[in-house]
Amino acid sequence: MVHKKIRKINHGYLFVAPFIIGFLLFGLYPVYNTLSLSFTDATLMKADSNFIGLKNFERLFQDKTFITAVTNTWELWIMNFIPQLGIAMLLAVWFTDVRLKIKAGGVWRMLFYMPNLLMPAAIAALYFSLFSYYGPINQFLVRSDLIPEAIDFLRNKEITRAIVVFIQWWMWYGQTTILLMAAMTSISISLYEAAVIDGANSWKMFRYITLPLIKPVMIYILVTSLVGGMQMFDIPMLLTDGRGSPANAILTNNIMMYMRFRSSQGHIGAASTIGVMIFIMTTFVALLIFYLLREKHDDFKGKSS
Amino acid sequence: MIKNYRISTNILRFFIYLFLAVLLIVTLLPVWLLLVNATRSTLEIQQGISLLPSQYTLSNYKILLSKGLDLPQGFLNSLTIAAATTIITVYFSMLTAYGIVGYDFKGKKFLYNSILVLVMIPMQLSIIGFYQYMSRFGLTDNYLSLILPSIASAGAVFFFKQYLESIMIQDLIDAGRIDGASELGIFHRIMFPIAVPGAFTLGIFTFVAAWNNFFNAYILITSRQKYTLPMLVQTLRGDVYRHEYGAIYLGLAASVIPIIIIYFLFSRYIVNGISMGAVKE
Repeated sequence: MVHKKIRKINHGYLFVAPFIIGFLLFGLYPVYNTLSLSFTDATLMKADSNFIGLKNFERLFQDKTFITAVTNTWELWIMNFIPQLGIAMLLAVWFTDVRLKIKAGGVWRMLFYMPNLLMPAAIAALYFSLFSYYGPINQFLVRSDLIPEAIDFLRNKEITRAIVVFIQWWMWYGQTTILLMAAMTSISISLYEAAVIDGANSWKMFRYITLPLIKPVMIYILVTSLVGGMQMFDIPMLLTDGRGSPANAILTNNIMMYMRFRSSQGHIGAASTIGVMIFIMTTFVALLIFYLLREKHDDFKGKSS
Repeated sequence: MIKNYRISTNILRFFIYLFLAVLLIVTLLPVWLLLVNATRSTLEIQQGISLLPSQYTLSNYKILLSKGLDLPQGFLNSLTIAAATTIITVYFSMLTAYGIVGYDFKGKKFLYNSILVLVMIPMQLSIIGFYQYMSRFGLTDNYLSLILPSIASAGAVFFFKQYLESIMIQDLIDAGRIDGASELGIFHRIMFPIAVPGAFTLGIFTFVAAWNNFFNAYILITSRQKYTLPMLVQTLRGDVYRHEYGAIYLGLAASVIPIIIIYFLFSRYIVNGISMGAVKE
């Protein structure tokens, strides 16, 4: 018996060992390295670097471009997240409604989800082509006399932003719908039956049964979308010239980090600082969301552990 | 009363279907235009929009090649990276999850909790440090730097931990032990075959993510013949292809078609897999 237990213990470590080694080498050390680089003036051009304390951070906060990048990233994320959640909620309610009996729910949601899997780099290039001066959108609008002459969409700040927001929404509302539907279908139907007997209308049932019970999934959607949104790169990068043009309208955190990294000197110290700052910001807001939306009753604790 | 109710439900239903139809067009039209335009000549594309395919796929492809875009090479590169990443992620993540689910050892809870935290760490916090560290070993511009980190995929371990808990048959594992199978042998010959559907689901997601991954490759890979598909796609925006619309659309289409095919073949695994990590009691 004792012998068997010892054997089991050793094997447990054996099974997790590759992960731990891989994590130390490719996960933890790079994070540590990024953190320490952020306090140096390291570049790719010279071998040695100096410790410069918080200078990189000070410079970053004085840099108007960084403020623009942060504001842009937040705006682009929020502007797509609200309609994303709204449409997804509407679709999920319709698809799970027993009374409406929407046909082929599985096929609809499968098709709505498809853009999510397509290569973002290709999608950005596709929208660039669609909205270019001689592109199909202009062709359509001019030929059907909706506008007198072609518009240079991607030179207009507001339109370019709107396109990024649209692409993000287009790629993600299907996934959010699927998650909300999974949460809604796991709610026991007897709760709704009891509510109908008590004379509740659809809105009341949604407000007092559905919404509270799908809250954990909504927090999951909110936080994962936030973490993803703060890393937005491929779409704004490849929709225009890779520098967030026009006039920094779609310059995001990650594009700015990349630009520092690929600058002529390769300022990896300054680039690391941006990475660290985005991480701090994202973590802070994510924790704030968890705190504000935490379950006020004790039952949540039991479930999460 | 009941009749009124039925009529109002029918009206509502009509508007819902109308809304769904519009949404479907908005969702699929851009992709359809991409696929159709890949088969049309630049002249046709300039003349107007069409929803029907034409017959210039081959000549578009020749234009791409003549401009120096090595689509087959990029395809092969992406396939190599995505396949290797998928195999490594699935194997090592399941191995780790099996260690956590099947055994008791000191520090297990700590390990599992750290994995939960790791899922949240964005790649921005590690990528620059990772690049500098890889360059010290001369591993930049090398696929190993893209593939090896998948040994430690926190999200995949999290997925398999939940999955294995739900399918684990302890009796079968004990029976294997009695028959004298080694612990690793039990994992390979008993656990893995049972877990194939889960491995498949996670494998699809891993493959798609690796296939589409642009940022990491863009940072780490520099030589042209090692470019992955998203990196080649990015070069299509350049001046060399100016006004070669047909060829550009073909290049873009080639990078999304494999994923569309995978999706239509395995959509059930994918759609069910999305909610597996999130909705769990």
